[in-house]
Amino acid sequence: MPSLLSVRDLHVSFDTSDGVVQAVRGLSFDVRRGDTLAIVGESGSGKSVATQTITGLTRGARISGEALFDGIDLLSAEPATLRRIRGARIGMIFQDPLSSLHPYYRVGWQIVEMIQAHDQEISKRDARGRAAELLSLVGIPQASKRIDDYPHQFSGGMRQRVMIAMAMALNPELLIADEPTTALDVTVQAQVLHVMRNLQQQFGTAIILITHDLGVVAQTADHVVVMYAGSAMERARRREIFYRHHNPYTEGLLLSLPAQGEAGERLTPIKGTPPSLIDLPPGCPFAPRCPYVFDRCRVETPPLDDVFRDPFHQSACWLSADEATRERQRAALKATGTS
Amino acid sequence: MTTDDALLRLVGVHKHFPVQIGALLSRGHEFVHAVDGVDLQVRRGETLGLVGETGCGKSTLARSIARLYDVTSGSVWFDGRDITRLSRRAMRPLRREIQVIFQDPYGSLNPRRRVGSIIGDPFAIHGVASGARRKKQVQELMELVGLNPEHYNRFPAEFSGGQRQRIGVARALALRPKLVICDEPVSALDVSIQAQIINLLADLQDEFDLTYVFISHDLSVVRHVSDRIAVMYLGKIVETAPTPQLFEAPRHPYTRALLSALPVPDPDVSDSQQRVILAGDMPSPVAPPSGCRFHTRCPKARNDCVKREPPLVAVLGDADDHATACLFPLEVGESLILASPQIEDTVIDVDAAPEPGGVA
Repeated sequence: MPSLLSVRDLHVSFDTSDGVVQAVRGLSFDVRRGDTLAIVGESGSGKSVATQTITGLTRGARISGEALFDGIDLLSAEPATLRRIRGARIGMIFQDPLSSLHPYYRVGWQIVEMIQAHDQEISKRDARGRAAELLSLVGIPQASKRIDDYPHQFSGGMRQRVMIAMAMALNPELLIADEPTTALDVTVQAQVLHVMRNLQQQFGTAIILITHDLGVVAQTADHVVVMYAGSAMERARRREIFYRHHNPYTEGLLLSLPAQGEAGERLTPIKGTPPSLIDLPPGCPFAPRCPYVFDRCRVETPPLDDVFRDPFHQSACWLSADEATRERQRAALKATGTS
Repeated sequence: MTTDDALLRLVGVHKHFPVQIGALLSRGHEFVHAVDGVDLQVRRGETLGLVGETGCGKSTLARSIARLYDVTSGSVWFDGRDITRLSRRAMRPLRREIQVIFQDPYGSLNPRRRVGSIIGDPFAIHGVASGARRKKQVQELMELVGLNPEHYNRFPAEFSGGQRQRIGVARALALRPKLVICDEPVSALDVSIQAQIINLLADLQDEFDLTYVFISHDLSVVRHVSDRIAVMYLGKIVETAPTPQLFEAPRHPYTRALLSALPVPDPDVSDSQQRVILAGDMPSPVAPPSGCRFHTRCPKARNDCVKREPPLVAVLGDADDHATACLFPLEVGESLILASPQIEDTVIDVDAAPEPGGVA
């Protein structure tokens, strides 16, 4: 089955007074219809910039590459074409629902406006009915009443539901959710993730979920892209990322989490800090922090290639793609000590 | 537990904030019941985790302990002494012994002052060391928390988030406190950096016999660092227990819901997790619900829960150190997924409950 969205070799950079920030460096990924792709990474890994660029929200950036959405290249599309797709066929929700909703307008009005912008035929009355329906679909009680409330009259979790209702209003094929639950408490996060999953099952929506939380990834993703310093370090199905990862950065992320079982033990952080995106070192961007680094890593950048003979599993690392050979390499490199 | 092992003891602590309701002229007399009757002990050398969601009062409680707020009623005992009503002057020597590490390493450091003088402030304020001696002590502290002492003259903006939090830790430890209140110390940091700071806090605790009150909304972090955990909901402690017991046999339905909502970074565990999806939001602390405050959202609520406020005591044969404030505590293995509230004549706020078997 062809991908709904296929991103190839995406580069995004910004000119700043300090120099050129290379926010995204050669990112490629695919999203299939009805699937959830999680893009995981730490602050500054480029995960948000990548998806904002795809939806045309990074003005003033230098962009190259290709983002085919159902055959249309979003990066080179005319503004009018992009407007028809964005909102209607690609819905978006962001981390902070309060700043994404207009504080002066009733939430119902904001959803109606959105529906009418993409469907000139629909009457105001029908659009309003649809808005109420959407609000109750995302679990807002007494939706037909609350449609006339202002954003500040909703709690954080409820606002995020309003955002989801708005993003789902035109039944998009793809929903881009950028840290949708990061600002929410765990019990509210559970409610919102539950709503998103139900909608996905009901409407077959594909989701790109951008998050830094590996717990959320384990709970929701089908496929995962792990990003670091603007590029994908590893790409695989969910279970492979957690149980059979190839890339030392993925390993480092998982090891630094507070363990589930043993409390009180020392954690294993990744040493050092992420590199500056203005002045990246040559070679692998993770080399300065990698426990298995060897000479080649500091000179040549590893490509994202298939590993473990799994067509769904790619890793950008010079360690062997063969499991047994890689184990021997790792043991040897660890024995020689971290350099 | 005798009073002697308790470094900190809270007895019936309340902290209410007045809120202005209505327009300018009609000043209201309502109060936010941020902390509403908390009894708690923290033993010497232990880490007490304090968890709860936004607005449950955990940060207010922390600030009340450090006497950054004056409590409305109740008393705070530190090292065997009632410090609730101490004057500013009398409190001053105690300020050396109780320190706070704040969440935001960006907001809690003055951007226009050099790191050396930020860390040196406690020495200056308490007149402990000056001149070259102060500089030497500051540099020792910087080294202790993993900062390069040569960066003494840099500004906070020249440091990353993790390094800034190290600056906050160094400042808190400058005067060798007995009690350190860590208010969401790693919440603003990425996981790989978070682990560095958690390890640092653990090392410092071993080295200096520190006692921590560790506040976080992140249960996996709290579980890792805490010897005991207290769970707060709407200004009250609903359950407190040694960490393993709390995770293995939570008695309070809120604790269970909180634990089950935690996304576990392990697909197999995550897939088999039975998530309790709570209905609605936390009620307003201006007018907390009657009886048990959790009754508006509790899957096990009964009529009694509306009328009677449950005491925080050992239940179902638990040891004394495991206390639960619930009239109908959970048996081990009891399912909360199948429970449904049974309350008569009361409008339950069924806000936002995903209808059973509803969508999808």
